[in-house]
Amino acid sequence: MPNINTGDTSHNFDAIVIGSGISGGWAAKEFTEKGLKTLVLERGRDVKHLKDYPTTSMMPWEFKHRGQLTQQQKEDNPVVSKCYAFKEDALHFFVKDKEHPYVQDQPFDWIRGYQVGGKSLLWARQTQRWSNYDFEGPARDGFAVDWPIRYEDLAPWYSYVEKFAGISGNKDNLPGLPDGEFLPPMDLTKVEAYFKDFVSKNYSDRHVIYGRCAHVTEPQEIHKQQGRMQCQKRDLCQRGCPFGGYFSSNASTIPWAEKTGHLTLKPDSVVHSIIYDGQKGKATGVRVIDAKTKAATEYFAPVIFVNAAAVNTNIILLNSTSDRFPNGIGNDNGLLGKYFAFHNYRAVISGKYDGLLEYTTDGKRPTSAYIPRFRNLVKQETDFLRGYAAGFYGMRPSYSKPDGFGNQLKDNLHKKELGPWMVGSHMMGETIPKEKSRLFLDKDKKDEWGIPLVHTDIGYDDNDEKMVKDFFEQMTEMYTKAGFTDLKTHDSKQAPGLDIHEMGGVRMGHDPKTSLLNKWNQLHLVKNVFVTDGACMTSTSTQNPSLTYMALTARAVDYAVKEMKKGNI
Amino acid sequence: MLVSRRTVLKQVLFVSAGLAVLPSCLHEKKPPAYKVKNIELSSDEEATLTSLADVMIPNGEKPGARQVQADVYAMTLMDDCYTKADQEKFKTGLQAFRKEWKNGDEAFLKKMEETAPDASPASAFYHTYKGLLIQGYTGSEYYLTKVFPYELVPGRFHGSVLVNKG
Repeated sequence: MPNINTGDTSHNFDAIVIGSGISGGWAAKEFTEKGLKTLVLERGRDVKHLKDYPTTSMMPWEFKHRGQLTQQQKEDNPVVSKCYAFKEDALHFFVKDKEHPYVQDQPFDWIRGYQVGGKSLLWARQTQRWSNYDFEGPARDGFAVDWPIRYEDLAPWYSYVEKFAGISGNKDNLPGLPDGEFLPPMDLTKVEAYFKDFVSKNYSDRHVIYGRCAHVTEPQEIHKQQGRMQCQKRDLCQRGCPFGGYFSSNASTIPWAEKTGHLTLKPDSVVHSIIYDGQKGKATGVRVIDAKTKAATEYFAPVIFVNAAAVNTNIILLNSTSDRFPNGIGNDNGLLGKYFAFHNYRAVISGKYDGLLEYTTDGKRPTSAYIPRFRNLVKQETDFLRGYAAGFYGMRPSYSKPDGFGNQLKDNLHKKELGPWMVGSHMMGETIPKEKSRLFLDKDKKDEWGIPLVHTDIGYDDNDEKMVKDFFEQMTEMYTKAGFTDLKTHDSKQAPGLDIHEMGGVRMGHDPKTSLLNKWNQLHLVKNVFVTDGACMTSTSTQNPSLTYMALTARAVDYAVKEMKKGNI
Repeated sequence: MLVSRRTVLKQVLFVSAGLAVLPSCLHEKKPPAYKVKNIELSSDEEATLTSLADVMIPNGEKPGARQVQADVYAMTLMDDCYTKADQEKFKTGLQAFRKEWKNGDEAFLKKMEETAPDASPASAFYHTYKGLLIQGYTGSEYYLTKVFPYELVPGRFHGSVLVNKG
């Protein structure tokens, strides 16, 4: 067992936050701003804004392999090398397969970023709000359990986090995708604008919009206070941004929390479990293993936020066993780790457009257009449940002809021609959380830090297959009608996980018998433990989830501090 | 600065003079050894890679493939980023290619241009190596600063601009 350090005041805090990624960073900011002495535990190394972005200013020719992975890197990392951003310029921000093993009962591509900032350095920065069509989904369609909150509960908190993070967007006035606090949008391309116009004229219920994204397109006072500047449209976000042009914990919430003087950030601190005191009837602290020395220690606080990333949060709670909770903390109903879900990103369609050839683009853009969910939005209309959103891009690449050799080839390479417009969409499908889709801990195998290995037992179902088929049919129809040609559809059959939108296992709900967390993200059975990362999600909807985690976190901290003041926690 | 440039100039003059007085040794001159770990190359094979790079994108007013080290890049990629099977295919193809191509034989290269990459081992080698040389050339500092400058900080995105007809 770990050492007991109860006498050491430096081990006592007002709040403990496990994890420093997109939601943990928010918990740190909110607690420290409210004056609470806050400990943030991060299992990975420290990554300081600006200082620890080693590749951020490198020119393409300065990379030995011009961005490509080596064969050795691919062979050593069969899982993470599938991720689009795991390339020569950003691979230092990803967990390598061998360092952190897990057991795939069904294939699951678990993409991880163990460092201060977590995956907030690497995310795709798309920030679409949920609507009541999403929160009411499980109740309307009879799956999972009813969300204990509605859009109205979260709307002010969406506004709160959007203003600070800096979200670029258009007011689109769509009931299914509520507007937020937007900084100016970047341009759609000529073909994206054409398709937007075409779709709105030809489909009453379908829309193409500018994808709202966490980029500071016009810095406000609050962003200047964070030391962040206007997005310079480098489109190299995965390297870490020297301008703070996009939102990350590293550029935004963590330094903000540090400025309050109330933050203690401990990198290389692997949380083993949460300590539960049966007599007090609450959690008292956490057991931590030093990532490097493997020394055990404990920290204590009256409130604990678990923001370790969806799978890791499940692991910590499952591993937090006590006489009172032999199956994991707060887990009387046995549902912890179950009803795990993700987004279905298997399907892509691409094509070309031979019109509008008098136009092209200039510069770069770190986002694209977005097609909000239209399937089964207002009512059930297909033989599958729920639906999908899609990205949409229309870009016009230029290229040199590779013909010939000698001076002919050399001349060719010194010229560039514009090709046709290339268009494409990828599917972002809602999946249905099911009891059999689960995470659980191995009984024997442990990692280097003495924590049981997690099993992933999550797969696609018939609903997902039907949705892929429908995506291809509907997108092919829309693309064809719009005059796009050479259409190619591709089902990657990629495993769950590669979407990097894994969610659930510690779901919110009204009833302690069927859920783990209440409407404040508080464990029903242990009121001073909160979960506000992806693990809390009751259903997945189609929107990129990070913005919702941020809003849930800020809301839950506000509630927790009020409850502490009332003496309820 | 001045001193080092002079040193470089002296070396260049020395090398040129050496080549001038030792023409009979030309076929034995050592080509630049490619630092490859996973592919074994004889000096003759290396010479073919070097010669083909010179022929593919020749030096002139503007630098050629070898002047921007596109051949070094090509072999680094083949060595580090390709599978064992692809490396073996490359090596076999190189050997087949060498049997049929003598430096200066443009007709054979024209034939290669018209042959599908999967038609023969020699053709597979030709197209793979050519592709890597193009990658190395168009990804070089020369190309990305002098020909089509790479913008690290564009600071702008315009979604709809008229194509410049000039």
